[in-house]
Amino acid sequence: MVEPLIDTEMLEKLERLTIHWQKSQRGLVGGHQASRFAGAGQEFLDHRNFTQGDDLRAINWRAYLRLEKLFLKMFQLEPRIPVRILLDISDSMAVGGGNPKQLSKFEYARKLAAALCYVGLVRLDAIYLQPFSSKLHESLVASGGRHRFQRAVNFLTDLKPGGSTDYMSTARNFLARFPQPGLLLVISDFLDDQDCEKPLQFLADFGHELILLHIWSEEDREPPWEGELELEDAETGERVELAFDAEARARYTAEFDEHAKRLERVALRNNGRYVGLPTTVAIERAVFGPLVQSEALQ
Amino acid sequence: MSFLNLSLGELLGLAGAISAGVVALYLLDRSRRKQVVSTLRFWTDADVRTQLQHRRKIQQPWSLLLEIISLLLLLLAIAGPRLGVIDSTGRDHVLILDTSAWMGSLGTRTQNGRQMTLFDEARDAARAYLKSLPRRDRVMLVRADALATPATAFESDFGVVEEAIRRSQPGWSALNLEQALEFAQRAQRLQSQRAGEIVFAGAARVPEEQAELADLPSNLRVLLSGAPQENVGLRKIGLRRSPAAPDAWDIYVAVHNYGAKPHDVDLELQFGQSFVGARRLQLKPGADQQETFSYRAAGRGYLEARLNVHDAFPQDDRALIEVPGEASLHAVIYSKEPQMLRALFASNPQLEAAFQDPAQYDPAVKAQMVVLDRFAPPKPPQADSIWIQPPASGSPIPVRETKPNLHLAGWNDGTPLGAGLRAQDVVFESAEVFTPATGDMVAAESSAGPLVVARENKQDKLVVLGFQPGAPSMKYQLATPLLIANILKWMAPEMFRSREVQAGTVGLVRVPAGEDADTSAIRVMDENQRPLPFTIGGGRLQFFSGAPGAVSVLSGDRESVYSLTLPDVADAVWRPPAGVRRGVPKAAEMETSPPEIWPWLAALGGLGLLLDWLLYGRGRLYRLRTPSQMRRAA
Repeated sequence: MVEPLIDTEMLEKLERLTIHWQKSQRGLVGGHQASRFAGAGQEFLDHRNFTQGDDLRAINWRAYLRLEKLFLKMFQLEPRIPVRILLDISDSMAVGGGNPKQLSKFEYARKLAAALCYVGLVRLDAIYLQPFSSKLHESLVASGGRHRFQRAVNFLTDLKPGGSTDYMSTARNFLARFPQPGLLLVISDFLDDQDCEKPLQFLADFGHELILLHIWSEEDREPPWEGELELEDAETGERVELAFDAEARARYTAEFDEHAKRLERVALRNNGRYVGLPTTVAIERAVFGPLVQSEALQ
Repeated sequence: MSFLNLSLGELLGLAGAISAGVVALYLLDRSRRKQVVSTLRFWTDADVRTQLQHRRKIQQPWSLLLEIISLLLLLLAIAGPRLGVIDSTGRDHVLILDTSAWMGSLGTRTQNGRQMTLFDEARDAARAYLKSLPRRDRVMLVRADALATPATAFESDFGVVEEAIRRSQPGWSALNLEQALEFAQRAQRLQSQRAGEIVFAGAARVPEEQAELADLPSNLRVLLSGAPQENVGLRKIGLRRSPAAPDAWDIYVAVHNYGAKPHDVDLELQFGQSFVGARRLQLKPGADQQETFSYRAAGRGYLEARLNVHDAFPQDDRALIEVPGEASLHAVIYSKEPQMLRALFASNPQLEAAFQDPAQYDPAVKAQMVVLDRFAPPKPPQADSIWIQPPASGSPIPVRETKPNLHLAGWNDGTPLGAGLRAQDVVFESAEVFTPATGDMVAAESSAGPLVVARENKQDKLVVLGFQPGAPSMKYQLATPLLIANILKWMAPEMFRSREVQAGTVGLVRVPAGEDADTSAIRVMDENQRPLPFTIGGGRLQFFSGAPGAVSVLSGDRESVYSLTLPDVADAVWRPPAGVRRGVPKAAEMETSPPEIWPWLAALGGLGLLLDWLLYGRGRLYRLRTPSQMRRAA
């Protein structure tokens, strides 16, 4: 029997949560967070002078009768923001997880994506699930409430890891496919031989609010091996022979942590958020712990 | 140096194999490992890339050397090397098994639903001690009660010792621990090649004077069995003819409380099937109590004393002693004037006198004594006889002359017949003077010669009196009944002995004997009439009986019968001092081989491995972490 991505008990807990964004975006009415932009909302916001081209239905005729000047009523906008999840399915995500009690990064990312998708569906958000490796793969738009969650689960279950990571290509294609800015959650190990900070910055520059969910396995951060090693890159197949000891491990871990800090800086610089998630932390703890603390979820 | 389990060649071979294994494991540990990783960028960035040109070269030779040396040290430790030469002669131990009477009491342990005696416990402890000994040692088993008796010599075959232990049983006497320890020391000194331990197995209940024993052997070990138990028991029973009534017995019973609590017990005496008496005794801890009874019993029988108490040692709750019957001497008196003699002979309750006319004389008459009054039978009687003024023609001792108005010169006080006679101023109307033969005993003499002569033949005894004791001249003299009594006592001494019966404990018996007791007149005999050795000192006669039975002490006309049927229970419990070894040792403890160095070797080996780990292997510990530890670390 195939184990479900998320069990019922956790789904019940996820009902309490909401995907939270910080940037004010323009958009269609129907969202659940107020925007600083005025629009076709229900709640009165302010008056301003009428300019040509404004909607005549918004003119305050009572004020015109009294003052003989045209004022326009402005309303609080609660736009429906597109929520997009970029899910890394490259080969590097499949590395690790040799321990049956420990999930691989790929498995972990799928479960996390499913959890976020469910949270969005409960709040009637539209969730764009977009897998990627060196390119953008077939995507899925999940919307219409929680009863559409099974489709998303089937989609995620059918995903297979493969290919190498190319963030630059991915960012370019993404911006071309989704010109409307929105909330962008990137679930990845961010292990690209090329620098991935620049593509992320591009995405932010185009108005996307970034939430970087950095997933790593224990051996990614602190390799347990020692002695003479012959290492093979999971994506490129490149090999290298080396001697590894405790001192080298410390240097390696420091490099990894520096990489994570750089990612965090990119996110914070662009009013986004960064959440580091080792696969040793259970999904439920990750959602209700670091993700809630970072205010990606509320 | 010797190796207990391996020869040097085997040890070197094993060491070589292990060293080769260690080197192989070392190389395997340091061989290249293939691993797929997510990316190589951090490996490169961390500057850990090192092309290995000589990966088969030993990377850490000192680590390898340290590991090999440490493992060799551990291997040596397993081999159990010893410094010096192993002594194969073994040691000689003396195992003293307490076989005193108290060991028959019930203990607190049970086995197969049966309550074990203290002796069972001691026997188990002795066997356990045997099992702990190396097979090359020798053991002498000594059974100790009042005497220390070796049951085996120094025996290397433990089966023989075990069989002797199995055959041992609790005795009847109390433990003489001091003597047993002395015996053991002497045995080790004289007979052993290499002295081992002196082991005492038992309850150590000893007489009061041995409760604090000094000068204990330094090699003493004690295997104490049994907790102190409560016990009340009979200590002594005595019977004596009552001076008030010849057919009555005065009975006294001594009861002792050996325990630490006061006890109320019922004492009951029975003679045959008849009730003698009963008392309720209140005994304080460690106290004796004596009770006196009086009972009239003519015949012989058994007197039973019983304590109605349920304690750990029932053997001393009941005693049975044989009460002798009153013996009597049957005498036939031939006289034409029996009224003259009736007062003398019929008044003695132990004498059954039958008076007959001399015409009825029968030489084969069934009597133990015959009295012939002025009468000489044609054929002398076959029993002991008293001849009163026999006719000169038929007298067994020749009559020298018959004289009137003969004056009594005196009594021969040194003879049994004349002892205690004092009458002097006696003139006989008519008396015979005898001519005694050599060996005859003259008890009384006149101015003309012997008047009373006694002769002891092989078959019988006879006394001739030269005068008629019932005649007016002697009739009112005090010497007359005394003379008859002396004659009867000389002829049948066993009939007139004063008897005393006592029931006591087995072991050493002390009897008051008087300061000037004549050892030649005293005899001590067991129930088979075999003489027992005895000593006299300090006004007391002492003899020893190691087994239950009856012992008679004959002293003149007194006979004391000691029915030694009660077990001798000592009063105190010996507490071994703190320095004395206790309990069954472990087998390894009894090994006396040269000092072992394996602990040092093992410690050095372990230290070497620890050093190797601290210097070279600490970083590799990460590999040993469990996934949960790794999660916690994250």
